[in-house]
Amino acid sequence: MAATPTSAQPRAESAWARRLDSLNKSWYKFSRNRLSIVGLVMVAIIVALAILAPYVTPYPQHAGKYVNFKAKNLPPGSEHLLGTDVFGRDILTRVVFAFGNALLMALGVLAVSVPIGTLTGLAAGYYVGTWVETVIMRITDVFISIPPLILALCVAAVLKPTLTNSMMAVTVSWWPWYTRLTFSLASSLRNEYYVQAAELAGAGRLHILFREILPNCASSIFTKMALDVGWVILVGSALSFVGLGEQPPKPALGTMVADGISRMPDQWWIAVFPALAIMVIVLGFNLFGDGIRDMLAPEEM
Amino acid sequence: MAEALLEIRDLHVWYKVYGGMLKVLNGVNFTVGFGERVGLVGETGCGKTTTMKAVLRILPRPARIPQGEILVHGRNVLQMNSQELADLRGHGLSMIFQDPTAALNPVFTIGQQLYEVIRYSAGSPAGRIKDKRAVALHALQEARLPDAERMLASYPVQLSGGMRQRSCIAFAIATARDLLIADEPTTNLDVTIQDQVLRLIKELVTQKGTSMILITHSLGLAREVTDRVYVMYAGNMIEMAATPELFANPLHPYTQGLLASVPRLTGGGFAEGIPGRIPDYKNPPAGCRFHPRCPRAFAPCREAMPPYFASGDGHLVACYLYDNKRRRVPQNG
Amino acid sequence: MASGNSTDNQILVAEKLVKHFPINRSGIFRRKWVVVKAVDGIDFTVRQGECLGLVGESGSGKSTTAYTVVGSYPPTSGSLSFKGQNIARPAVARPLHLKKDIQIVFQDPGSSLNPRRSVGDILAMPLAVHRMVPRGQTPTKRIIELLDMVELPASYRFKYPATIGGGERQMVAIARALATGPSFIVLDEPTSALDVSVQGKIINMLLRLQREFHLTYLFITHDLSLMRNVATRIAIMYLGKIAEIAPATDFFEKPLHPYTQMLLSAIPVLSIAEEALKPKKIHSVGEIPSPVDVPPGCSFNTRCPFKTEICFREDPLMRSFGPDHLARCHNI
Repeated sequence: MAATPTSAQPRAESAWARRLDSLNKSWYKFSRNRLSIVGLVMVAIIVALAILAPYVTPYPQHAGKYVNFKAKNLPPGSEHLLGTDVFGRDILTRVVFAFGNALLMALGVLAVSVPIGTLTGLAAGYYVGTWVETVIMRITDVFISIPPLILALCVAAVLKPTLTNSMMAVTVSWWPWYTRLTFSLASSLRNEYYVQAAELAGAGRLHILFREILPNCASSIFTKMALDVGWVILVGSALSFVGLGEQPPKPALGTMVADGISRMPDQWWIAVFPALAIMVIVLGFNLFGDGIRDMLAPEEM
Repeated sequence: MAEALLEIRDLHVWYKVYGGMLKVLNGVNFTVGFGERVGLVGETGCGKTTTMKAVLRILPRPARIPQGEILVHGRNVLQMNSQELADLRGHGLSMIFQDPTAALNPVFTIGQQLYEVIRYSAGSPAGRIKDKRAVALHALQEARLPDAERMLASYPVQLSGGMRQRSCIAFAIATARDLLIADEPTTNLDVTIQDQVLRLIKELVTQKGTSMILITHSLGLAREVTDRVYVMYAGNMIEMAATPELFANPLHPYTQGLLASVPRLTGGGFAEGIPGRIPDYKNPPAGCRFHPRCPRAFAPCREAMPPYFASGDGHLVACYLYDNKRRRVPQNG
Repeated sequence: MASGNSTDNQILVAEKLVKHFPINRSGIFRRKWVVVKAVDGIDFTVRQGECLGLVGESGSGKSTTAYTVVGSYPPTSGSLSFKGQNIARPAVARPLHLKKDIQIVFQDPGSSLNPRRSVGDILAMPLAVHRMVPRGQTPTKRIIELLDMVELPASYRFKYPATIGGGERQMVAIARALATGPSFIVLDEPTSALDVSVQGKIINMLLRLQREFHLTYLFITHDLSLMRNVATRIAIMYLGKIAEIAPATDFFEKPLHPYTQMLLSAIPVLSIAEEALKPKKIHSVGEIPSPVDVPPGCSFNTRCPFKTEICFREDPLMRSFGPDHLARCHNI
């Protein structure tokens, strides 16, 4: 009979204690890198601001239809911390509201592209070497070759240039990257011994795909998602910069930058602050994504 | 005491991890003389690889060395700067790793990797390396690799496991003058190839007068190839003796348990092995780290790590059972 | 072929079993296929309740044989039958009751257990697949029973493979193999990745389970000292063919084939008594040929110290040299 492990801590058996312990461990792994914590704080602030925008901004009504030409083009000062734009709207308020729009776009795009990409990648990876893989991966190749901006422009030309349509365009060019990622993971994982063990024991395809292979892909997928929020927002800003995406007067970061470009360098605040905001979001999510990657990395055996 | 080539004194190595510190090495003492072949035997997790990595200063980032010295030619390796370390590594300390496939870069040919090794071994006997190719060919031939010319142009993936390991040995030969550390060099090889590779290592080491440290978990291997053996458990060297003496007369209960666990060609079934597990390094047992699993543990074992007691000529054992000053405890005490 | 024993208790019968893997080595301008002759015509039987050991080095085909028996791939030709039923096809094509009956324990417990699933989940999988637990009920009771069979505490069902030791992981793998109540288990080097001090415990456990549940084992290893203490009969393979097959004592005391002698003389042992038992030292020379490039005649002729002229011309046939003791060599 195996002797009990020498001097090991007595392990609490309750489910709560176990979950708490695993949370503690995850936090430990996440927080090894100081920058990840910075990223976490930035993301938390961004999300909080986005949700609470109507309550924390000084001039919430400026986010809609509002004009006040008396206050137009004011530089940053005590009444308007970041200045005002051509229509006299407070830039700080509009930037914060724009956060919300940006995050919504990112959520929408990822909510659709991640499931599609993951499922197709899993199928292609498991059936690597067969016609299933060939068909899926060649279709993926076609979609990957389409640049998101051009596609969005085409969509706008055919349909109206709204936020929803832009989101659709970005989604269509986004899911193939998840397919590629999941495919490369799944195709190497399918040769692992534990997958063979499951197959030989008679497990069905669904069990193998979702209970054996997918959990081992999850960490890479979640990491990519965290990083992608920043990237989708960047692409979204590029789209709104050229006039697609959220239409005025609703605030969008790219649009604000576009408005301000012609007024550089005199009224520099109109373009610079929204651009800084884009940078902050992308940086925050990148650092956060690094932390997620560390946290989800598999344990050393 | 500049007699020894390598001397490790009271080395402690800790790793910082979730939940505390892994106190892996607990005062390691280890000596290798000139031209000696020393074996380091221990199981998974006992700290043998950590010890060697400490000597070569290639420990991973969370490692801390709170105490101890590693002296090579009398100079403390732990206090060397990177220039001095590079000199040390170039001048004749080399290592053969367990997995030759992982140790060789798959995108370069054997020849390219060998030239690199030769180039970095500053001050090698060839003086300024005018003819790298000749040195490389010579090394490959000494490693008994067939068709050395073709080997120079081959990629690792084109070679079998045995040939890859012999290539690694060729790299080591090209530079090793003082010390060769072989970390489980034949674990992944077939028995008949293992035999060939070991004979090769033995011959080369004897011919060149290089010292050798053979790290292995296989007792049979240590018995065949070494002059002196250290047995390691949970971060301590618990027994050391000349090879024939250790196998004829194992003293430490762990060594005895280990030898009893090895299946014999003469038959006789299996002993149950050694009960229990290696200790949790975050919270190691007080005193002798083996005492929770030891069938002969008694009072002093729980209090302090035993020092080395001598038993016979050059046979040291870290176990209170052999403390001549104490009252000897009866077998079932 | 089969000696005095009746054929009734033969649980697994392989005849002229062949498994070749065609590999595409085409270049841009040249079409070329090579064939890896992993298993090149072997005959063997496994009897109920025994432990047949399969020994060999790289390229011998022992692993391929094991995986063909278990159903990872179908044989290229030849027959393979289990309890009278034909199993010369991959596991996916076999009836479910046969999949229950033949199980496998892999070599490396680190990769044979899914690191993202708990021990309990891992053990629950075969139970669910084979409907061994009534719908709606959790299989906890059966999981605890299985853990108990391999002497692990019930609390281990919540642990993940990364947090338990190598020996314990292998015990979980054994419990998984036992979950479906098989009668035949293939063991692919079950202790090679483990420390010596744990090895004895695992092997003793396997032998005890064999007695308790009337199991039959096909045991693969390269460690001959281990084999000496586990197997009842041993077959040694070289480049896809069986070189010698004999009961354990005969195999070690009267090895006939030169390869057997070479292997036995090369193993490192610990005591003088064992040294005395080894055949005279035969130094191996040269590399093991690849199964892509099998030499003509006897496949061992590149390394055999006793080769004669006929060895280059003719592939020897399996001949009997005693009760249950067969070998393939011209020069015995």
